[in-house]
Amino acid sequence: MFGPAHGAKLWIYIGATTAAFVAVFAVLHWLPVRFKRWLVVVCAFLGGLFYSLEYYLPAKHRWFPGGENPLSPLVIPMGNAVAVVSGFALALGLINLGLVHGRNIARARPGWYNSVAFFVALISMIVFGLWQSYVPDAARAAGLGLSGRQVHRVYDVLFSGLFQPLGATLFSVLAFYIASAAFRAFRIRTAEAAFMMVSAFVVMLGQVPVGQWLTRGLPTSVENPLHYFRLENAANWLLNTWSMAGMRAVDFGIAVGALAMALRVWLSLERGSFFEVRESKK
Amino acid sequence: MRSEHANLGQALLFLSVSLVILAAILMSRRGRQLFIRRIPGLSAIDEAVGRATEMGRPILFTFGLITIDIVSMQALAILSHIARLAARFGNRLIVPLADVPLFTLAEEVCREAYAAEGKPEAFNPDDIIFLSDQQFAYAAGVIGIMHRERVSSAFYFGYFYAESLLLAESGQIAGAVQVAGTPATTQIPFFMVATDYTIIGDEYFAGSAYLSREPTLVGSLVGQDVGKGIMLLLIVAGTVLAVLNKIMPGIFTQNYLAKWLGG
Repeated sequence: MFGPAHGAKLWIYIGATTAAFVAVFAVLHWLPVRFKRWLVVVCAFLGGLFYSLEYYLPAKHRWFPGGENPLSPLVIPMGNAVAVVSGFALALGLINLGLVHGRNIARARPGWYNSVAFFVALISMIVFGLWQSYVPDAARAAGLGLSGRQVHRVYDVLFSGLFQPLGATLFSVLAFYIASAAFRAFRIRTAEAAFMMVSAFVVMLGQVPVGQWLTRGLPTSVENPLHYFRLENAANWLLNTWSMAGMRAVDFGIAVGALAMALRVWLSLERGSFFEVRESKK
Repeated sequence: MRSEHANLGQALLFLSVSLVILAAILMSRRGRQLFIRRIPGLSAIDEAVGRATEMGRPILFTFGLITIDIVSMQALAILSHIARLAARFGNRLIVPLADVPLFTLAEEVCREAYAAEGKPEAFNPDDIIFLSDQQFAYAAGVIGIMHRERVSSAFYFGYFYAESLLLAESGQIAGAVQVAGTPATTQIPFFMVATDYTIIGDEYFAGSAYLSREPTLVGSLVGQDVGKGIMLLLIVAGTVLAVLNKIMPGIFTQNYLAKWLGG
């Protein structure tokens, strides 16, 4: 829809877009709440209508100008516009974090030193993250007495040496949590729990070599009904037939529920602060 | 880029289910009494807030890692209900987030909920916190809040990934009453074993209707159930056609329904 722009044209585009955004925000700010709600309702309806029509109208039809769905070429620009608006929100997140942690330090709340650590981490990552992308990974001086190679190494230590291992450490805790959760789930107190325990036992054994070894004597030929009793086959049968059917049933329910919810949001029937607050004060 | 388009069968199915839902909404708005069954997980929300009031400890609400979409819209409606209860009973409500656009909406929803209860001054914007959009950094932050603040009730409504069990087990260790609701089918088993109440599948999207009992939303919920009935009939018909295609290939040369809906 919009071709790439260069030179003066690019700056005109940037200036016009910024001015348009400022004008829209100013208008939104000064509008009375009633009109703001109407604006949200109209925007939600038009947005939903655009995507519905684009999807449900066929890709090609002789009634369309040029024979192609006229809305399809607008999908990418619309997506880009949404991404740009979401991008503005990142600054809000940083401001919120800065305010929360800044107040912790200013008021010397318990654990204020964690907030200091937050600012140190934030500033270090921003500085070295941007710096390393602008200097080559070479021995040449990059400023502040550091070479480009040193800047890249510091960034590597921060990202690959600290950030990623910290995430991996937390992920590894999951193994212990799964064990403790499984222990609670498999305590046989009811018939359902016993049934689940037996099913889980078969599935777990069917996934490991020792399980396959235990039933190695049974036939492998699909012609022989006894092959179903091989643990790996029994595990697959439980997973692909019973478990999968249950999952798909839940997915069907979710799809219809999401459709109902989407209709409510699209037609502004959903309750919430961005639509009409219908609940009476209790 | 070539986008996907529905075929005629899919468009008609979508239209018919949508019309059923809208018809149920209209009937409900005209005063017809519609029955909705009890959903224990949603009923437990009020109990969990009550427990926090008795213990004088905070409530925690988390969305997981989602951004603004249909799933988070439902979670916001449930958050609004919990925030109103928290405002009414003087509870502290902590909402850590992993998505900035959602953070701004959550803050607004909580602010309006406190104002609607006549206690705007009780709302503390510092309790609506953007932590990080990185999965495990976010999980670590939420776990830290759970233990430091000794939350008495934890609500997980949204879309979750591997962090679901980390959060739910940490809540269990912290001794919190936990209510979870998610359409993420892969995470449902983890919530089932680690939380006190789990809302699964389409029950998740029934949340706002069940809690508010507004005619519009109740009608939508009943329409949703009729829509599920239509799906069930199509599944049965498709299964019968598939069987007939196997045993009488001369007469039923193909599964017509699958062809019509599958394109």
